[in-house]
Amino acid sequence: MIPLAHFMLVSAILFCIGLYAVLAKKNAIMILIGIEFMLNAAILNFVAFSKHDKIALGGQVFALFAIVLAAATVAVTLAIILNVYKYYRTIDPTKIDQLRD
Amino acid sequence: MNEFLPHISQLIQSTLKGFSFLLQELVLVLTFILVILADLISHAKRSAWAYRICIAGIFLSTGVGFIQNSDIARVTLFDNSLILDSTSIAFKYIFSAVTILFAIFIRFHKPLQNHRKGVGDLYMLLPAVLIGLNLMSMASSLLMIYLSVEMVSIASYLMVGYASADKRQTEAAMKYALFGSICSAVMLYGMSLLYGFTGTLNIIDPVFLNRLDLISDPAVALAIVLVLVGIGFKLSFVPLHFWSPDVYEGAPTPVTAFLSTAPKIAGFAILIRFLEPFLLPAQSYKLPDLFDFRAVLSVVAIVTMILGNFSAIWQNNVKRMLAYSSIGHTGFALMALIAFEGSGFSSLIIYFIIYAIMNMAAFMLVDKVADHTGSTDIRTYKGLGKVLKVEFVCFVIVLVALTGLPPTAGFIAKLFVFSSAFEYYAASDSIWALGLLITGAVATVISLFYYLKIPLYAYLKNSEAAVAVHVKRDFLTVVIVFLTFLLILYGLFPGLLS
Repeated sequence: MIPLAHFMLVSAILFCIGLYAVLAKKNAIMILIGIEFMLNAAILNFVAFSKHDKIALGGQVFALFAIVLAAATVAVTLAIILNVYKYYRTIDPTKIDQLRD
Repeated sequence: MNEFLPHISQLIQSTLKGFSFLLQELVLVLTFILVILADLISHAKRSAWAYRICIAGIFLSTGVGFIQNSDIARVTLFDNSLILDSTSIAFKYIFSAVTILFAIFIRFHKPLQNHRKGVGDLYMLLPAVLIGLNLMSMASSLLMIYLSVEMVSIASYLMVGYASADKRQTEAAMKYALFGSICSAVMLYGMSLLYGFTGTLNIIDPVFLNRLDLISDPAVALAIVLVLVGIGFKLSFVPLHFWSPDVYEGAPTPVTAFLSTAPKIAGFAILIRFLEPFLLPAQSYKLPDLFDFRAVLSVVAIVTMILGNFSAIWQNNVKRMLAYSSIGHTGFALMALIAFEGSGFSSLIIYFIIYAIMNMAAFMLVDKVADHTGSTDIRTYKGLGKVLKVEFVCFVIVLVALTGLPPTAGFIAKLFVFSSAFEYYAASDSIWALGLLITGAVATVISLFYYLKIPLYAYLKNSEAAVAVHVKRDFLTVVIVFLTFLLILYGLFPGLLS
């Protein structure tokens, strides 16, 4: 039996990796991968915690919904990134800066 | 598995019972399917059938909602994951009205109509996003909050990126989608922590608060701040505001008008639901000393008002200026939320009704003017006041309302917010409330400077180019005049709103 603290530790590490990718990467797709890391950290938490919620199983249901929604978001975002590439010939968010003060 | 068996029948019964209260949303689901079919089958010009079915479906759902909700005080549906009370019903009416205005706006927005993709798919998104908004106003479990926020977000990304007619639009869409998904991922992590601490997803359950009380304060504060990041993205308060000027400038004007009203108001609906248990004085739960919602939100509101209004002064693009002004308005609405005791809620809802009217009207006018001049730069408004007479008279009234001066409804909205904040200050003597009142007053004075820039250019400066403008008016002008009329009507007779 793996204790709950281990799951939380793994998910915290996953979340931090994701956050690092989001803040440091200069490629829109890598940022998207970072977002996936963060989502999966949360999903791992949900599944692990739902051990203590046997009746409603809220955590596992939440994990299923989160996976589906993550897929939908990624599909939309990838389409948008593809469009950006068509106009700018790059997907580096720091170089795409026509809109600013 | 065996522990689960005795609960099944009860769960199924509560689910079946819940559907009878969701007629409004079921009508919207049907509308969504019909709009897709209509757009596939009929090849009418400008997707006329999709437009008609969309509008009719939203009207029908509002009517169904009106009949169904007339005698409801407060019900909880689907094992307490949705809650239907007077607040959520009021929010639903606002969302329906904004979505209908949005549909009309798309219909008369030339760049979108002339786009080679057509606008059929955009009409399809409207019922879908309205379902999301309605669910946001009713959500009372973490799962529903996340689901409804994502529903609205994904539809909004699509709307912003839909036309992608030029570089700036795709850029706005990418910034919006990336920043939005980061915020919702952070929010999801916060929710997973809250679920871990309490073992329930239901935020109105007393168990939720009681168990939260047992956890150490820093941990609870961290989880709540993470959830507030996701909600704050929808509200665009400082420090989560920097996407909004870019997106508002880049997106097509109807989409900007929609994004700056409905999702923002829905974000407040969720914030109200999320904070209600913490702010209600009757709760047995004692707030952790470390995380004082009122203090944190007061600081956020003060900074939001200052930053929004000061940044707006330097803008030359009208859409960008209105974006900053809507950030400033978020600060005001937060002020009403903080002064929640007593009259806080009703003043907040009145504020949102008026805010929705003013904002939709303002963006419609921006679009109307851009239709004639092809530009959203304030400096191109020179001398237009003498050519586009009706439009600019309405524009001035709407801007006076946005500033919050009598005799418009904007004054009533600000008056309610200020008086409820003052009540709170008188009752609690809190330093934050005083800070909010002072900042609010200063921000209102500052807003006068940038709002009046538009009439300054339109009436007091002359230009030869303006005379050559050929005046075109359509149904949208009628809608604008109607909205402006409403602003004056509610300003003179505020009793009509309650």
